[in-house]
Amino acid sequence: MPFFVFILLFVCYLVSGYGVLTIFGMKLKTAYMITLSLLLGIAVASFVPFLLQLFFIDLNPVSIFLSLLLAALVLNIPTWRRIGKEGFPAVRRSFALKPLRILPYELPWLVIFGFLVFVSIWRCYYLPPTSRDALSGPEAIAEFAVREHTMINSFFNIDLWSTNNQFKSPYLISLQLICKMAGFPFGQVWLSVVFVSFTIFLYHALKERVHPVIAGFLLLLFLMTPEMYAYTFMILYDYSNMIFFFLSLYFLFDFFKSGIRSHFYFAGLLMGIATYIRSETLALAILFLPVILLSQRRSKDSLRKIMKANLFFFLPSFLGYYLTAQLYIKYYLPVHYDIGGLVNDQLSDLQPLFQRYSDIVTRLMVSEFSIHLWGYILYFTDILFVAEGLFLRRYSREARNWLYAILVLYLGLGVLGFLLPMMNLNETTKRALFKLMPLTVLYLANNELLIRASRWISRWEGTPIHLFAAEKPRAARQQETVLAKKAPASAPPPAARSLSKKKHPGRNR
Amino acid sequence: MKGFLLTIVSALLVILVLNVGYYKDWFQAKPLQYWTDFLKDKDDTLSLEGIMASRYGVPYTMSMRIKRVLEAKHVVNPIILFEPNSYLRDSLHIYPKIHVPEPAVFYYYTGLEGVWTNSPDAGKANFLVRFTNKGISLDVIRTPEQREQILNAYKKYPPIL
Repeated sequence: MPFFVFILLFVCYLVSGYGVLTIFGMKLKTAYMITLSLLLGIAVASFVPFLLQLFFIDLNPVSIFLSLLLAALVLNIPTWRRIGKEGFPAVRRSFALKPLRILPYELPWLVIFGFLVFVSIWRCYYLPPTSRDALSGPEAIAEFAVREHTMINSFFNIDLWSTNNQFKSPYLISLQLICKMAGFPFGQVWLSVVFVSFTIFLYHALKERVHPVIAGFLLLLFLMTPEMYAYTFMILYDYSNMIFFFLSLYFLFDFFKSGIRSHFYFAGLLMGIATYIRSETLALAILFLPVILLSQRRSKDSLRKIMKANLFFFLPSFLGYYLTAQLYIKYYLPVHYDIGGLVNDQLSDLQPLFQRYSDIVTRLMVSEFSIHLWGYILYFTDILFVAEGLFLRRYSREARNWLYAILVLYLGLGVLGFLLPMMNLNETTKRALFKLMPLTVLYLANNELLIRASRWISRWEGTPIHLFAAEKPRAARQQETVLAKKAPASAPPPAARSLSKKKHPGRNR
Repeated sequence: MKGFLLTIVSALLVILVLNVGYYKDWFQAKPLQYWTDFLKDKDDTLSLEGIMASRYGVPYTMSMRIKRVLEAKHVVNPIILFEPNSYLRDSLHIYPKIHVPEPAVFYYYTGLEGVWTNSPDAGKANFLVRFTNKGISLDVIRTPEQREQILNAYKKYPPIL
């Protein structure tokens, strides 16, 4: 029975997320459409019980599942209109599954990814939530919400002196509530959907830039970050926050390159979701304003247009912050929480700020402890970063974007740690550094040395042979080989091009 | 042939990553161990409480035992006072292997209200969980004087997680 309900939930997530994508007019590769639909569907689901709570509606299985269904239907109004005009094939094209095209040398990577994913899914399903921050807040609230049909339940009547986790975003509470009501006593299974969707998305994003052998290597480094892997089966905020923060930057940087305005607003929505999950993300979002303004200056838009665009970009983030950190805490929760009282009152003394910057580097980035947290991915990135600077003396625009994001994260986390002393180094800042990992991986995928290596492998390889794919006509194969030989320095490798939509080789739309 | 060579290269790279430095230790201690656990767990017939007991360990087992004892005695509105974990650490030297859960987590486990010695509700506690060399006992607090005496005895031990 729970399996059947899970399938229904899965479809509901997929449809809701697809609705959001169509509202923004996103036209992407099938792999991106499916994975983004699921991720957005989870985000929508995380908002539904919270919204019901804001309107004091009883949280029972009927109200929750009907609301989820309603959300899926309402978000797809543009889809219904499209179906009315063009018929079902219009929607089917978005999810058109092409023949599975796997290259033989992707298999070793897929085997190890499959192993890591399987083990994670099993633990997610079988074991109860374990992190202390979940048990002393969202998980307990969700458990009693199932029994008492409200998020503001008896949990708030007990001694909560030792925890502030009851004040965190309702993101986890909502998702746990849905899964528990669906028959999963430990909830959590939504996290596997998030993990698998994001892993597939990232693999495809990497393969668009570098050769599949290098993409596989980079993804393995990403998956084998010990600390982060644990949070693929232990519910908490930071893993989901990392995903939406990264996706926001992915589409923002894509907008810088392509100028597709809907990607800009979509990036704003994703940043809003990241802020809804962890409210301090708002501070990081604002730090991207300079680079956004720079891009807008280049496009020579009018001031009014720029202001309007930026308002729409930041609005979801402000809403995400206000709803969770202001409205809900101040006017709904029965326990008082003075956020202002948590702010450092000795702002003129900057020594702790520099100490924090130093500690982030020495403790969390270049120490034995850091290897236990992240494996060797940061060292590998450092080496390639220095090598690119030394040997090529320049960084591509895309690489610079990701480097800027890394810098923003580092500077932002230092300031946040300085302003909010309760944001300690070894727990909160450490988990906030999850966001660094996909940024470094995308920087690596835009590292010119790796791109050249990809190109060299592709040229040497010639026409790749796909497993499970229909044999192409010889003429087509010969043409691809010629293309590979003539590929300009900036073009992606043929193997990567073959994975993108044909009309726009190397682009993800 | 070139595709085959690249497949060999991919396989070698996977093996290399799994065997280099800390990755090797981690991979064996975590994902491989998790796989072994899976092979064991998939045929398991443990109840939900059994799974939780094996995952959460002593604090959960202790909490559930308290719950059962109180249910058997039909106690209405019990408020359980816990000894501070710093006492278990500094006096009994059993921390962190054995520690009491914080009240929020105890409530999650059992649905019962627990308090620490510095809690505003400590004055309402009517049971005390006491750790001794013989084991754990659940003592009834009968009078306000007795409660005061207990709280004074633990004053020098601040509650910690």
